[in-house]
Amino acid sequence: MEAVQDYTALKSELAAAANDHGEPKWVVDQRLAAVDNLADAALPEVNRFDIHRWPLTPAEPLTFSQSNGDLAANVPVAADHIQIVQVGQTTVTVNLPAELADQGVILTDIFTAFREHPDLTQPHFMTEIIKTNEDRLTSFHAAFLNSGIFLYVPKGVVIDQPIELHLVQDSTQEKHPLISHVLIVAEADSHFAVMQHLTTQGDCANLASCMVEVLARSNSEVHFSSFDELGPNTTTYLNRRANISRDATVDWAIGLMNDGDTFGDFDSELIGENSKSDAKVITLTGGRQRVGVNTRVTNRGKKSTGNILQRGVIMEKSKLIFNGIGHIIHGAAGANAEQENRVLMMSSKAHGDANPILLIDENDVLAGHAASVGQVDAKQMYYLMSRGITKAQAKRLVIRGFLSAVLQAIPAKDVRQNLTDTIERKLENGAEIE
Amino acid sequence: MATLEVKDLHVEVKDDEQNKTQEILKGVNLTMKTGEIHAIMGPNGTGKSTLSQTIMGQPAYHVTQGDILLNGESILKMPVDERARKGLFLGMQYPAEIQGVTNAEFLRAAMNSRRADDDQISVMAFLKELDKNLELLDMSESMTERYLNEGFSGGEKKRNEILQLLMIKPTFALLDEIDSGLDIDALKVVSKGVNSMRGDNFGSLIITHYQRLLNYIVPDVVHVMMGGRIVKTGKADLAKTLEKEGYAGLRDELGLDVELVDEN
Ligand SMILES: Nc1ncnc2c1ncn2[C@@H]1O[C@H](COP(=O)(O)OP(=O)(O)OP(=O)(O)O)[C@@H](O)[C@H]1O
Ligand SMILES: [Mg+2]
Repeated sequence: MEAVQDYTALKSELAAAANDHGEPKWVVDQRLAAVDNLADAALPEVNRFDIHRWPLTPAEPLTFSQSNGDLAANVPVAADHIQIVQVGQTTVTVNLPAELADQGVILTDIFTAFREHPDLTQPHFMTEIIKTNEDRLTSFHAAFLNSGIFLYVPKGVVIDQPIELHLVQDSTQEKHPLISHVLIVAEADSHFAVMQHLTTQGDCANLASCMVEVLARSNSEVHFSSFDELGPNTTTYLNRRANISRDATVDWAIGLMNDGDTFGDFDSELIGENSKSDAKVITLTGGRQRVGVNTRVTNRGKKSTGNILQRGVIMEKSKLIFNGIGHIIHGAAGANAEQENRVLMMSSKAHGDANPILLIDENDVLAGHAASVGQVDAKQMYYLMSRGITKAQAKRLVIRGFLSAVLQAIPAKDVRQNLTDTIERKLENGAEIE
Repeated sequence: MATLEVKDLHVEVKDDEQNKTQEILKGVNLTMKTGEIHAIMGPNGTGKSTLSQTIMGQPAYHVTQGDILLNGESILKMPVDERARKGLFLGMQYPAEIQGVTNAEFLRAAMNSRRADDDQISVMAFLKELDKNLELLDMSESMTERYLNEGFSGGEKKRNEILQLLMIKPTFALLDEIDSGLDIDALKVVSKGVNSMRGDNFGSLIITHYQRLLNYIVPDVVHVMMGGRIVKTGKADLAKTLEKEGYAGLRDELGLDVELVDEN
């Protein structure tokens, strides 16, 4: 996949591109340090799932270019929504109500934030939540970052309306990886919801390396939901992680509806006492798609509570691995960790696995897990059909019910409806293999 | 007038755990017409639920002999959903729970399943009908936004079966122990629901263990089932006699060779 790289040449090229892009020195330095790390960093571990031959670190030089704003034509832009729309590296729209800006809320593209708010970005960007030198994928991401968003919500600010982050991958161009980073800082006592929507325009085969870092300070509450529908020719690496302080909550509701191969790494670090996280992931796989998900909750704080719920439906010849990783660190007395991982098989040619992995280093905890790989429940099918509902519709209802956990957690009705429609469309397209 | 005929019905069920097949129904004969309410009584394990499930088409039950005819047409080869759309309904002893699908959404899907694509029920018409039936059954509106039977109490599930009956309006309703687990008030409410369906275009087969239900829903015909057969058919007072004399008495009177679960 990638040629043996001349790291010295790579670094000077990278520095030149970043400098031309007007990036502050600390950003360029961080990129270069990431390149140094790239030389011998390993890929992350994914239990029972192999990503070694995936094109996750393509050898394209860092370039910056404008994308055609028309590619965002399908994004519902509305002046009364709080939203930022990006096509590739180009920010098309930013709607932030003046009263929020007056309160100090920042919603902007990440490079602007690096320049204008180094005090708010430098301490947090890939330093303490997701770290640059964790593995090959994080190093690659830090080195070749070419797009992103910064969201800052000051102390005590409560935002009722969801904040929409729309990202359209521009795959009308060859060799055009999307390496996008969302950094969210929730100051103490702030309270808001974020909805991320990922889509692809164009058919070129490209990488999407999309990260989200959330710093949730004490007593803040962040509800993050995503609707990921990147295209069939996109190889996707998602890494979403939150550091959660005392009395703070971060919830994840992830609708993983990409059409291409996807590796997802979702992580809640329950650092503070009484911190909470609820991580829900649903997915539906088809064709020869391969999807591997690590959803991890680490209880570090006393009386911290973390739940994982993962549900997937696998069709045709696809493959899905759900790893639910619950780690309770010694000292996290009174911690609570529950997880449930379920896979519904719609085809005997599909392969699915649901693995709860529990690492418990503390005695005074409550932990539980459930996992299953099975078929549509025959009793439920019979019941629905006994009311006249056709077999095909009964199946759709049962599956939609099975996936409903994430649907309910999405704060906007139209997005819920769109996700429902996507699920129905995927089910209809998925040829039946008994 | 519609008819439902069960002719010399023999049914086997395969016990998956023990991997053996067992004949449960051993020649059941029964004819019902719309306008009639039939009741079936009989000891535990005698095949009452098997009969209703077989009529509905539950795939675990295999017909080895005989036939089931709806308006003269055999339904044995029809899948469950088709039988339902032809007018059959089974109020189940143990209804399934389905997460993530609301009761209201399910009811609409069920009603629409028997209507043409260009004649689906409007939201307004649906809600009007729903409100009317909720009131009749003394059910709160919130029940319809809850997930189908999920977390419903035993009594709520039974009421919900009757709500479906009233919304779907089948030709023949097989009601399997709709009275079990109901308190007295609920029993009256459920009976009121069934009675509201009574008329020339509706027939019902009510399976029950208790004569009390038949005080509220007075049957035209009472059948007694024992050992996989209907052994006696009579009027409403047959239920009262049974209540007094028990199944052993009837068995001995008829000279049947049937073992009852509660004997010895
Ligand atoms: N799916 C099944 N698998 C195995 N055995 C079954 C199955 N269904 C019924 N049986 C057996 O068939 C016999 C009749 O059962 P059925 O449920 O029809 O009885 P019933 O008359 O409805 O009893 P009750 O009054 O207790 O509800 C029982 O011995 C039961 O164990
Ligand atoms: Mg029974």
